[in-house]
Amino acid sequence: MTSMTALAPVGEETAQRIEREIQEIVAIYSRLYPTQALSFLVYQGKDPVWGAPVVTEGAFTFQPEHLNAEFLGQVDRPGAHPGAPVVTVQVSIPRKPLPSESRQMDAPWSPMRRLRALYRLSPLAYETVRYQAEMQRKRRAGGHSHQPLPRGDGSALLAAPAPAQQDQRPAILIGMHWLEVGGAEKLGFDTIRWALEAGLRVFVAAGVPSIQRLADRLPDHPDVTFLRLDRYLPHPLWPRYVENLARAENIRLIHIHHCRPLYESLPQVRARLPWIRVIDSTHIVEHADGGFPRSSGVWSGFIDLHHVISRELVDYYRDRFQIIGQVRLGRMLERGGHPASLPEPNMQPGKKRLQVAFVGRLYYQKRPIVLVEALRALSDWARRNDVELAAKIVGEGPFLDAVRALISRYGLADRVALLPADAPVPEILRQSDILLLPSNNEGLALVCYEAVEQGCIPISTDVGSQAEIVPKDLLVPLAPRACVKGIVAAVDRLWRDADFLSRQREALVRSWTAITSDPTAKDVLMPVYQKAAAGLQE
Amino acid sequence: MSALGKTAAVIVTFNRSAKLMKVLDALDGQTLRPDVILVVDNASTDDTQALVEARAQDDARIRYLRLAQNVGGAGGFHEGLKAAYRLGAHYFWVSDDDAYPQPDAIERLVQAITAFEAQHEWRPSFACSRVEWIDGSLCEMNTPRPVWDWPRFLTARTPWALVDSASFVSILIPRWAVEQHGLPIADYFIWFDDAEYTRRLSRSYPGIFCPESRVIHDTPDNRGVNFALVDEKSLWKFKYGARNEASWRRRERGRMGILAFAYGVHLQMKGGNVPWKLRREIFRAIARGAVFRPGIVKV
Repeated sequence: MTSMTALAPVGEETAQRIEREIQEIVAIYSRLYPTQALSFLVYQGKDPVWGAPVVTEGAFTFQPEHLNAEFLGQVDRPGAHPGAPVVTVQVSIPRKPLPSESRQMDAPWSPMRRLRALYRLSPLAYETVRYQAEMQRKRRAGGHSHQPLPRGDGSALLAAPAPAQQDQRPAILIGMHWLEVGGAEKLGFDTIRWALEAGLRVFVAAGVPSIQRLADRLPDHPDVTFLRLDRYLPHPLWPRYVENLARAENIRLIHIHHCRPLYESLPQVRARLPWIRVIDSTHIVEHADGGFPRSSGVWSGFIDLHHVISRELVDYYRDRFQIIGQVRLGRMLERGGHPASLPEPNMQPGKKRLQVAFVGRLYYQKRPIVLVEALRALSDWARRNDVELAAKIVGEGPFLDAVRALISRYGLADRVALLPADAPVPEILRQSDILLLPSNNEGLALVCYEAVEQGCIPISTDVGSQAEIVPKDLLVPLAPRACVKGIVAAVDRLWRDADFLSRQREALVRSWTAITSDPTAKDVLMPVYQKAAAGLQE
Repeated sequence: MSALGKTAAVIVTFNRSAKLMKVLDALDGQTLRPDVILVVDNASTDDTQALVEARAQDDARIRYLRLAQNVGGAGGFHEGLKAAYRLGAHYFWVSDDDAYPQPDAIERLVQAITAFEAQHEWRPSFACSRVEWIDGSLCEMNTPRPVWDWPRFLTARTPWALVDSASFVSILIPRWAVEQHGLPIADYFIWFDDAEYTRRLSRSYPGIFCPESRVIHDTPDNRGVNFALVDEKSLWKFKYGARNEASWRRRERGRMGILAFAYGVHLQMKGGNVPWKLRREIFRAIARGAVFRPGIVKV
């Protein structure tokens, strides 16, 4: 490999970072083009996440723009033989993220320009407009395909490809959406640990370029490799890369966690590597287009096992894709570690001090503005009923500034505390009477489950699979105004009506018991991992 | 002859879970097991869904398509064939929820259709089984209609008669035929959908009747489709049948076709001494059929 021509003089750290990134880039493309002569045109990136690679297969002609102001230099990797075809890769090294970007990728939220006046006048009216727009999108979402892609199995007349003899231990490729905070990502990290536990070597890739803030939480283990395909490999080249990786590293299993380019790699996998088992995990049906469960259903002919976290999703696959046997419910819960029985609710009728909690990322999905409106309405209710109300909001995100401003505007600052995401959630829930979840959409919010175990009663919008844990009477409508009214009505009834409170507790015990008796994600996935590790085919 | 043989069974069901389970048992015991078993549920209100779900837990071949409402057998077969086609099957074995294929029924159909193609180069547009009633006699309502030269290729070793009309009870349809002729007419709701469809498929080449493939049709009685049999209880079905066949006759043979059909129905009802009140209902259905022109949906 020739060395770079234009790196010095720069600081040592910058030079090391660039060298490291170039090694990563060369490794990726060497895997993709093992015999070709590779020529890398390296640029200094303007954004912190995406390398904007452009790949040219064949002779390359330089144009003035190829030697632009960001041009860092060239790196060549010779081909396997003198006449090897040339592949040129133009790629930028993403700049280091700014501290503010490292903390928070998304810019602080602000209302849409055209609706700012409406937001100033009434945040709830603004939320209502947004809700209506989203419901309109949902109605139009019928246009998205819910047909599984047909897949031919081929004829027995032509032999299917077979795996070559491999000396390496079997490996798994785990495709994540990204390595950022989220429910799907939590499961993704769990599966990385389980795969290691099963004895598999683990390759991790993310489909969406981002700072990948959780990358440093990957197990520090020689069997775990994080491939920066998200930065340096265009999606159309993933299938061939995956094939070459699987052949070289004895990959026996692919597990997809909301990773679009891995779904798109499945035809290559099925055609070229039919012995590899493919599983995916899905969490939430999105309003607008069905989200990843829809994608997963469309690809179901190429997937061996669909792991889902809720019964809603079991029904979704059955009703929309006619699939039953390939779908396995595995709750995102630990087996064991639960209390033998649930504590009495913290809430008591006529209680003079009421503690309310919210735990979640402050993104639109959790509807932080509706949350503050609900707290405002609850505050009015508490004043009328001579109750002292206090609330804790645990979480961070682009809505934090807007939430803080709104709390101040409504004069709630003395009653509502904003706590960072690493605040002790179990303790907060143990001290709280009510957990509010006015979310726009949910899979099955784990925090509800935690709340129930701490004696805190969840009140949630009736979305996703929330009905599996939250009793019917504590589910409130999604429409913002109705949601706020519903929350106040539910709290009022819990506070006044001892029978109602007792019935809700019984319902919570029932749903908690039912959910804890369901198989966990580990119960469902571990046997598949262990089989792959043992080199067994289904 | 195709080298590809992915086979999908399409079963349409409505509130007959016990019989459906027997059909699924029979499919389980086939010498050539279908690669996909698609159960199309016409919005059953009994325990069909629970039973199919329980079974599908251990059998990934089973797929369950629950329709939002009862769209009749015609709508069910339309939806089922469409879904199975999209799954990439090369043969569709289509049947009712009360017809139990004998263990080699599907294999015999596949063998017959592929052997016929290999020997005679013509491609049969479908292959249908001999449908027997529970006592072993021929099931009257599922008797296929032969073409004029039905014995052209029939020999003692290849006993396949050419037919141009058969029922959706153990019939094997190749993918190319669906590709070329589209799907059954869902708007028919019930009756004559299978006759119309197989006659449409036969425009390419007739189907074959395969007596070596047997299926038991577990119907309450063994009655044929004859307008002499119209009574109060069965009137609603005969009305669909009259409307649908009239519509088909109008499409294929014009107004004279309807008149000939009406005259034939008249003679049958007269022969059966059907009360005039019911006869009027049937003639009204024929009149409706004259202006009923449902479209044909292509895949």
